Amino acid sequence: MIGAQSFGGGSATLYWIRRETVERHGWLTDDDFSRYWGICQIAPGINILALVSLIGWRLAGASGALLSVGGLLLPSAGITVGLTSIYAGIRDVPVVRAAIAGVVPATVGLGLLLAFSMVRPLLKSAQSDGHASTLVAVILLLVSTIAALARAPVIAILWSAGAVSAVARWQFAPRQRSPR
Amino acid sequence: MSHHLELFWIMLRAALLSTTGTGNLPIVHQDLLSRGWATDRQFAEALAIGQISPGPTGLWVISLAYFVGGLPGAALTLIAIALPPLLVLVLVHGLYRRFGHHPATQGFVRGLALAVAGVFVVVLTRIMNTAGWNSTNLMITLGAIVLGATRRVPVFAVLAVAAIVGIALF
Repeated sequence: MIGAQSFGGGSATLYWIRRETVERHGWLTDDDFSRYWGICQIAPGINILALVSLIGWRLAGASGALLSVGGLLLPSAGITVGLTSIYAGIRDVPVVRAAIAGVVPATVGLGLLLAFSMVRPLLKSAQSDGHASTLVAVILLLVSTIAALARAPVIAILWSAGAVSAVARWQFAPRQRSPR
Repeated sequence: MSHHLELFWIMLRAALLSTTGTGNLPIVHQDLLSRGWATDRQFAEALAIGQISPGPTGLWVISLAYFVGGLPGAALTLIAIALPPLLVLVLVHGLYRRFGHHPATQGFVRGLALAVAGVFVVVLTRIMNTAGWNSTNLMITLGAIVLGATRRVPVFAVLAVAAIVGIALF
């Protein structure tokens, strides 16, 4: 099956899966791939795993789904554990400590960039729904940040933001006219 | 052993309520820190290792679980993050076709993602608290943002440069 492993993080993996399944093997059409990827945006957990399980299911049923997820996860998880255990063994060596002291602030920087790239498309799609939706989105972002600063339970923050936004979108979304 | 099962449950619950590989971070952060099982420093280390290692970025939790519960912890966490994506199959064959385009569904996902981003930023400031808000650290943070924003420099290279700066300065 898909013995998918790739170096270089999430988007590289996605690119690689697309090239193999759509372009090289022709297992999926371009359309299928985009539709699947769209569904995976609202699936729980890691999106790429959801995508791979969908493709696996389509090609070989339940065993295909399991094998594809395993094939993607096991090699990379093994390498992650290996790197972590090596790191755990040398973390107190002075040079490593100094290197990590440099890496931690950089991780924070990359994390901020990630948060920004998560928020931007959300605000854009809210904007296309109109001013009311944009306002709701900005308020949700601010309130959840403040709630987190106040150490509110994270699960409660996430569920209430989801609920408020669901009701708001239902109310404010541009209605599609149903043909009568 | 009961610790391991609890770790499994924390990871599973967080993965179920996230829609990306790092969306589980806010929940995992709160659950593990409140039990005193992990530190902000370990979160930063695990995130860095997750960026360097191959495959989806969501594997950072495997690294964190190894710090918290050794190999058994990492193995259980692997199962915990592998299960939720399989639910997509249920989603496609039933729920998505019926409710996927409903405005409320899309609204829920949007609200969830916005809140994740907000809490995520707060977690990052806590990591920065332990590292210290001095000018050297802020310069490194800023440098990483600039390099990362170009989208030309691979993450691995950004972290390598930061490591070299760390060795030179600290």
